[in-house]
Amino acid sequence: MSALLAVRDLSVTLRSGGEARMLAQDVSFDVARGQILSIVGESGSGKSMTAKALMGLLPPNATVSGEAWFRGANLLAKGSAPCRGTGIGLIFQEPMTALTPVLTIGTQLTEAMVVLGLADPAEARRRAIAMLDRVGIPAPDRRMRQYPHELSGGMRQRVMIAMMMLLEPEILIADEPTTALDVTVQAQILDLLRDIVRDTRIGLILITHDMGVVAETAQDVLVMKAGRTIEAGPVARIFTAPSAPYTRALLDAVPRLDRPGSSAGMVAGAAAGKTLLSAGHVSKTFHARAGLFASGLATRALDDVSLDIRQGETLALVGESGSGKSTLGRVITRLTDADHGAVTLGEENLLTLRGKSLRAARRKIQMIFQDPYASLDPRQRIGTSIAEPIAIHTTLSRAERQDRVGGLLARVGLTPEMAARYPHEFSGGQRQRIAIARALAAGPVLIVADEPTSALDVSIQAQILDLLADLKREEGLTMLFISHDLAVVRQIADRVAVMRQGRILELGPTEAVWTAARHPYTRALIDAAPVPDPTRPRGVRRPVSGDFAIGALREAALGHWVAT
Amino acid sequence: MWRFLSTRIAMGALTILATTVLVTLLIHAVPGDPVQIMYAQSQGTTPEQIEEVRRSLGLDRSIPVQYAMFMERLLQGDLGTTIRGGQPVLDVILQRLPNTLVLACSAMFIAIVIGIPIGFLAAYREGSLVDTGLMILAIAGISMPHFWLGLMLLFFFALELGWLPVSGNGPLNLILPALTLGLSNAAIFARLTRSSMIDVMHQDFVQTAYAKGLPKSLVLRRHVLRAGFLPVVTMMGLQFAFMMGGAIVVENIFSWNGVGRMAVEAIFQRDYPVIQGFILTFSVVVVVVAIGIDALYAVLDPRIRRA
Repeated sequence: MSALLAVRDLSVTLRSGGEARMLAQDVSFDVARGQILSIVGESGSGKSMTAKALMGLLPPNATVSGEAWFRGANLLAKGSAPCRGTGIGLIFQEPMTALTPVLTIGTQLTEAMVVLGLADPAEARRRAIAMLDRVGIPAPDRRMRQYPHELSGGMRQRVMIAMMMLLEPEILIADEPTTALDVTVQAQILDLLRDIVRDTRIGLILITHDMGVVAETAQDVLVMKAGRTIEAGPVARIFTAPSAPYTRALLDAVPRLDRPGSSAGMVAGAAAGKTLLSAGHVSKTFHARAGLFASGLATRALDDVSLDIRQGETLALVGESGSGKSTLGRVITRLTDADHGAVTLGEENLLTLRGKSLRAARRKIQMIFQDPYASLDPRQRIGTSIAEPIAIHTTLSRAERQDRVGGLLARVGLTPEMAARYPHEFSGGQRQRIAIARALAAGPVLIVADEPTSALDVSIQAQILDLLADLKREEGLTMLFISHDLAVVRQIADRVAVMRQGRILELGPTEAVWTAARHPYTRALIDAAPVPDPTRPRGVRRPVSGDFAIGALREAALGHWVAT
Repeated sequence: MWRFLSTRIAMGALTILATTVLVTLLIHAVPGDPVQIMYAQSQGTTPEQIEEVRRSLGLDRSIPVQYAMFMERLLQGDLGTTIRGGQPVLDVILQRLPNTLVLACSAMFIAIVIGIPIGFLAAYREGSLVDTGLMILAIAGISMPHFWLGLMLLFFFALELGWLPVSGNGPLNLILPALTLGLSNAAIFARLTRSSMIDVMHQDFVQTAYAKGLPKSLVLRRHVLRAGFLPVVTMMGLQFAFMMGGAIVVENIFSWNGVGRMAVEAIFQRDYPVIQGFILTFSVVVVVVAIGIDALYAVLDPRIRRA
């Protein structure tokens, strides 16, 4: 089969402030009809720039060289008309911002068809409704009149796919199309893309950082790093016999949902630990205020949640967006006040503390946030940031504090000299190490980590998870680990609590939950998560839908609780 | 949509109510006896006359009673009578208010038709010499005080060139004061439009529009303009209030017979009923404009309508 699109030696150079950087260098690949090619890489690998170059959407300060043959013309030649829309379609990562907020779905779906002369307005409307139906959107008639903010993230991504498919392109480029979505929605969107490729025989270029997504969808893989092609080949060979060391390292770094984690061996010891912190019947409802006089919608973020955290264990809270997992973490750290319930640490109910005793209790529970770019004060030297909790909670002298900061930096894998630097001088992974050092500085008994690795590249994520596992083993750190990523949780947690719509549906030892999930929602979540193993049968995952049991927890096996 | 607007209208009514309280207290905010001060400039006023005025203004009663009296008269459409001349204040204001509104609206029109296209052009050519040049012009426009720009326009177009009349109240007389008030606001609109449009042009949904194969002109017209217009609309409401304030200065420079000039005269003459009426009228105009802007906002942005 001859190639639909043949890219040869594509290079992109970005010029800014008199400095030229190569963002992509000599990238070559072919895409055939009905083929799914995945371009894989971490941030800065040049995978998105390659896509933008093909679309002619590079920023004005970028120059491109090489060839990209499509329909007998070179897309990269100067003055060549771009084949946007009818030739090549593009789907973006963030469905929340990729649709124009002030125009109806209908307008956005039909306008290009009309402008490009594919259909008259009435015909365009008819096709748009049929396409919405095709991509699995219920009540398509009504959707046409709605605005993007009235649809969920998954729905918007379907609209986006419909919008591009209406122009009948021969190539579709999907740039991280599921990264911003919940795992169950991600599974549905990947299924949809696979179906579309099968039915319409278009070529799909799937850009992603997620090896699981690659294994589930692609036939061929191109691995990129720092703008260069590291390795290319059929998906089965890349996964089973990668020739480049970088590919192997990338695969090794991916947490495996289908294999037990490194910390599993310590479960026995942790299970024997005493209860450190206990949350009882915690409820929290958020009221969205519609105006000064109007009371808005109420959202139940936490609905009668009870759980214990034991000394020395890592307890994971798992759930999709809106499950209440972050709210529970914030209630325990008193960043959000609960409506009802108690959180006891030792003899104290944390939720009723005020003033001095609250400040004293805060020292014992420290937090690590998701985004290390936002959680460190950019105007403060990192040494000052780390020393702050020490200064507040102890009476150490300045020199002693500096010693302590140096020790903490060394503990998280940095050097004491780095204390004098500012956050912007560090990479994302280093910043998260700094955030961990800051959390440890106060000498906490519990660390609440809210998605601490979600903003990091997979190889960096592996390092941070290793660091957290080390701290747990060597210092007996107790941690509440909040995450949407089941594979990460399986690797690091001793016990796991599955949350949905403000309630805990299943709670038990990690291995027991994985190998013998008792609640249907847990099973659906595990089924939906992509597994980096191309030999697994594809498209067998069932979408999560319907009602689940949300009643009181009942002990189904020793230490394994399930909602009834 | 209607719920959104009805809350806005209720808030506006509250704002005006708060103004009435402030207006009643205003007379006591000035040190000394207000009636004494009012008549300080006129000779031959007997203590009996002063006592009579004090009683007629209700100044011999407690402040809450004064407020109640003020509100009672206000609800009957009575703002009192002027100290000088004894005409009903409402008539004096209504007679002059149209002049000020015509001036402010003309200035607004000038600000919009000059400022927004300039801002859009600068955004379209971001980083070019055209952009830099236009923005230097805009900063000059913002930095120039009204009275200075007004005097300069007066000097060149009225005195040197003799194209336009120096002062008075005809259609031709409107041009110079409206330009004075409009140009500096045009500069503000130009800067805001530029930054807002540039902001929108870098958003994902604009990339989506290009990815669909839409031509640049349509992307700008349909996707960028409307979204980028929202902050400008907010600014229009705020600027209209400032323009009403700016009218006070400009009306005096060009002897334009509006409420601004009336207010300055009243302040010099300590004509309290007129000042009270002026403040109240002003607040009503500003509140009405603000509600109008909110309605426009809801039309432009579907996300507001639900709230």
